[in-house]
Amino acid sequence: MTGRFSRAKTILLGLVVGVLGLTFIAYAAGTVWVQVQDKKPGGHRILLAVPAVVITLGLKLFPAASLREASAEARPWLPAIEAAGNELAKCPDARFVEIRDPTEWVSIAKRGGSLVIDVDSVDERVHLSFPVRLVPSIVRTLEMSTPPN
Amino acid sequence: MRRALVGSAVLFLTAGFAAAAQDRWLHVKVVDAAKGGESVNVNVPLDLAEKVLPTIQAEKLSHGKIKIGGEIEGVDIHALLGAIRTAGDNEFVTVNSPKQHVRVAKSRGYLLVQVRDEDQKSAKVDITVPISVVDALFSGAKDELDLVSAVRALKEHGDAQLVTVEDESSKVRIWVDSKNTSE
Repeated sequence: MTGRFSRAKTILLGLVVGVLGLTFIAYAAGTVWVQVQDKKPGGHRILLAVPAVVITLGLKLFPAASLREASAEARPWLPAIEAAGNELAKCPDARFVEIRDPTEWVSIAKRGGSLVIDVDSVDERVHLSFPVRLVPSIVRTLEMSTPPN
Repeated sequence: MRRALVGSAVLFLTAGFAAAAQDRWLHVKVVDAAKGGESVNVNVPLDLAEKVLPTIQAEKLSHGKIKIGGEIEGVDIHALLGAIRTAGDNEFVTVNSPKQHVRVAKSRGYLLVQVRDEDQKSAKVDITVPISVVDALFSGAKDELDLVSAVRALKEHGDAQLVTVEDESSKVRIWVDSKNTSE
């Protein structure tokens, strides 16, 4: 009886440690946030928060043929995107681009390790943020999926 | 969203025209003073430009160098710059017409281009480029501009006001400093 209880405790402890470990990995890898708010009366609001690690893993599990097809067009730009991602990771927080006119405001900035894109227009408000560290890992996955030209 | 994409493209492409010193930033500020006018601010770390440029392989841009015609309307740019480099401080071009004043000169290590429009008293263009940057830009083959070398030269040069364009309705400023904002 004591042995069975002890084994259950060990399994429970293992589960807790596992969940805490996964939570820490997900937290450390950051989160991808997508928010879209339609400003029209009764307009929809979408909020999506996906741990970055899920995207990295998801790409690895994506069917190779589909990924190859999707990344073929982007291939010439992948080295530039990867280099930009690596350099942005080293940059201090800053606003890189800001465009403002009476109907729209666009901002691209780095905040706390994430690249943040905001668009606020008459019709809708869009917010997208993702960890800068995510960029090189996605690029590497895409590069591996397409044969070099 | 289209603007965000354009902004992203501007960010990556402007990187090509920036320079890289430690924490040195290239700034572009465009303000349209007209009612309802647009304003654009771009701040690009020069290190980013130096690293990204060589990776872009486009039609005329490759390995951080852009292909140009060796001669522009019969002018051999490399020969012209060679002459400017070896010459002392001087006025190379002065055009005074009833409508416009144009001045191209070399002064204290800078190539200066100034344009003043008599029709619009407030219209003026000032381009100030360190000679070291011009040298670096034309350091490659005759038919190319070496953007990466120019970026490195700009990075080593220090703070610089590169371009100012003003007229009644708009102002454009391009400069390099160690701040990460354009305020």
